[in-house]
Amino acid sequence: MAEPPPATGAGANPDRILWSEQRIGSTLKKETVATVGWILAFFTSIYAQEGQELLGDRSDGSRATPLHLIPLYAESKDAEKGEQIEPDGEFVTPFSTRWTCAECHSYGLVKKGWHFNSVDSNVPPGRPGEPWLYFAPKLCIQIPLSYRQWPGTFRPAQVGLTEFQFTRIFGRHTPGGGPGEVQATEADEIGRQFVSGTLEINCLACHNAHHGQDMGGPGGYAVQVSRQNFRWAAAASCEFASVKGSAAAVPETYDPFLPDPDEKNAPRVTYQKEAFNENKEVLLQIVREVPNQRCYYCHSDLCYSQPEKAEKWASDEDIHLTAGLKCVDCHRNGVEHNIVRGYAEESANSSNPLAATSSCEGCHLSEGEDQPQAGRLGAPVPKHTGLPPSHLKKLTCTACHSGPWPGKKTILTKTSRAHRLGTPNVNKAQEVLPHIVSPVFARQGGQPQAQLGDSLAGKIGPHKVIWPAYWGILEDDQVKPIALGVVEKVVGKVFADLELPATGDWPKITKEKIIEALKALSPAAAGEAVYVAGGKLYRLDGSGELAEELDHPAAAPYMWPIAHNVRPAAQSLGARRCEDCHSPEASFFFGKVCVDSPVQTKDGVFREMMDMYEVDGPVYVRVNWFFKLLIIGVMTLLILHILGDLYRRVMLLLAKRAK
Amino acid sequence: MRQTSGIKAEEREFFQRFGLQFRVQHTLLFLSTITLIVTGVPLWCMGRPEYSWSQAVVNTFGSIETMRYIHRAGAAVLILVSIYHLFYTVFTKEGRREFIELLPRQKDVRDVTINSLYFLGLLKYRPSFGRYTYYEKFDYWAVYWGCVIMIGTGLVLWFPEVAAKYVPWFTYALGAEVHADEAILAALSLFIWHFYNVHFNPSRFPGTLVWWHGKMSREEMIHDHVLEYYKKVLAQTKSKGQKADPQSGTTM
Repeated sequence: MAEPPPATGAGANPDRILWSEQRIGSTLKKETVATVGWILAFFTSIYAQEGQELLGDRSDGSRATPLHLIPLYAESKDAEKGEQIEPDGEFVTPFSTRWTCAECHSYGLVKKGWHFNSVDSNVPPGRPGEPWLYFAPKLCIQIPLSYRQWPGTFRPAQVGLTEFQFTRIFGRHTPGGGPGEVQATEADEIGRQFVSGTLEINCLACHNAHHGQDMGGPGGYAVQVSRQNFRWAAAASCEFASVKGSAAAVPETYDPFLPDPDEKNAPRVTYQKEAFNENKEVLLQIVREVPNQRCYYCHSDLCYSQPEKAEKWASDEDIHLTAGLKCVDCHRNGVEHNIVRGYAEESANSSNPLAATSSCEGCHLSEGEDQPQAGRLGAPVPKHTGLPPSHLKKLTCTACHSGPWPGKKTILTKTSRAHRLGTPNVNKAQEVLPHIVSPVFARQGGQPQAQLGDSLAGKIGPHKVIWPAYWGILEDDQVKPIALGVVEKVVGKVFADLELPATGDWPKITKEKIIEALKALSPAAAGEAVYVAGGKLYRLDGSGELAEELDHPAAAPYMWPIAHNVRPAAQSLGARRCEDCHSPEASFFFGKVCVDSPVQTKDGVFREMMDMYEVDGPVYVRVNWFFKLLIIGVMTLLILHILGDLYRRVMLLLAKRAK
Repeated sequence: MRQTSGIKAEEREFFQRFGLQFRVQHTLLFLSTITLIVTGVPLWCMGRPEYSWSQAVVNTFGSIETMRYIHRAGAAVLILVSIYHLFYTVFTKEGRREFIELLPRQKDVRDVTINSLYFLGLLKYRPSFGRYTYYEKFDYWAVYWGCVIMIGTGLVLWFPEVAAKYVPWFTYALGAEVHADEAILAALSLFIWHFYNVHFNPSRFPGTLVWWHGKMSREEMIHDHVLEYYKKVLAQTKSKGQKADPQSGTTM
């Protein structure tokens, strides 16, 4: 019997996969395989516990993609490594990516990656990014959520969402991990999670290059997540397995490890038997460099800039992709999966050694170091001929080079994560909630004036923006959102007769309805209930009438920077002429930012782009006011002088006539 | 025109008040200013839905580009006349003299007070003005200030990329705002204040031609610039060695 070389440690053969190859065609008995598997698991767990690196934790330098002909393993009832998958066994279980991949890759390291570490409060939040947008048209809610400490977002727990609920709603567009792996603590969820399992990191979501990888299909990953089939989701997404049934449809007393054949609704997995070789191994088309198509599932957007370009085929893609680059050429990571997000100040928050040089400036601008950084990956070094240097100090690269070309008004924009793009039964109407508008030029690194305070030093760049709409409690001028369960119970009753447009747009509520809802909410939420929407805070005054407060910090829009699509240099703002920005019609200063709100009387409200980032703030305001007052003061004095002169003339004339 | 007690114009005595250079500057100034206002206001209103009439004005000019060219031509004339005036002030005797006469003095404050009391009927007599009244000085310095602001901000709007190199804090948006504000103030001052003083004032209606020939009648001199009048009569007397008769304005 061929003994597997140890995966790690002294004397380890670094290429156990080759050993797997040699084993193809061998006639090992099932028991032998199991024994070997247990031995491997034993060594693996010991080394993993000791923090030793596994076979796949570090590259040996080869550019070739390692062969992944591997056995698949299930998770056991006690959340440990379970049996090897046998497609024709008596009881077929879904394979666990965690226990399968952890044979060679340190799962604990991977979990630290940006895509999976949101629930770790020790991870610096970095530049604000796209939040998870919870929306409920019937309740007139759209609220940005995030586990990261991005100003303007709310932690899911603040609106009463547990990790389990969050995963069921948003897990469809995650590669698993993060909140999906948090153990339920609520009494009613512990049982449910026993049935559903956790949504462990789905390595295949990104690294499976097979065209059959199904994230958004009718039986794919997203659908399984919505059915609470967390344990089965990764298996369902791959090309050689399919899953039926729903964990949500079986009682929480159901034991998925002792399946009841009579429980027809219970989730079940079926494998294509031909995918397994005689050693019950599967050839996975795993690639080190994630294909763009995998990224697009979660990172697509659709901008309604021009109706004829609303279709993807009619719009151009990012210039970097046109030039032949892939997403991962810039967004790189090692086994820690600490992927480069790609913003200029990222190295302050990231341990990724490439963070400093994988931003726009990293490839396109030299900082005069010993090694020539500029021009990496063939990046042209911009001359910016004729461009006053102040532009580079005040604007991000993306301000001129990225995002949809700014029009007179902001446009509605959809994103994969906000609008479930790429999943079944998506409402394709332009007006469907949540309402994200773009491009909005604003200070990079946070929210507008109201929340930024003194830190207005950020550069101006293009953003996507959402105007939060939610029900909250006002305490010490701070607004805390009311738990969604309470809102649904109280406001849902008040708004029961609201008609929801087929487009998925807001139902449009009247002020009378808001008053009614606030009066019902205050006792239920034990505090002064308020409604936030369209940049305003609505509250009841002493007489029970609705009072509006403009620019309350709690009503500030949440913005996150636009990075893609990067346009060619010739299509940059200012490439044709300065008037692209410096003219009375230019959107950069005078574009209209749509203020989105379900409140009926406030439909169609806009703000000027300049309001979103303050042009040199106090100086601008003071000079502006000086001239306004100068007009009023000077003209008042001059007209008084004229009137005095006329008055005296009339008096003299009258006196003369009287004589 | 001021009443001249039945004296025919050709019989009236006139004093040369402004030289040719002064009149040329004034003519260029008002021609360029009116051009700038006529083209500038519709340019400012364009793109603002509440001022849809501005499109009709633009159509009259042919296109917005044509209008911009005319506006910039007017601006070029204004800049040239401003430079011309600076040279005139520094390098000519007449210019230096006029500039000194136009400097604000304590007497101007006193004149404002006396005139205000006169308007209110608390004094029976107007102040005696010299070569320039306080409101004429105001006109001059308002134009001075206006030219600095309008030309400065106009250049920022005309050459934003150059301006941004030297005055980065002075943004294009602020320049546009100040340019519009100052233009409103200048236009209002011109059409209300200045036009009242030189056209609509009952003593002057429908207007004076001093700007054209530079001459002012003895009656107007006595009414508006009596101190200058005395000065001129005295100077004439001295030059002829005769005794002055200020009442007649002639020398004996």
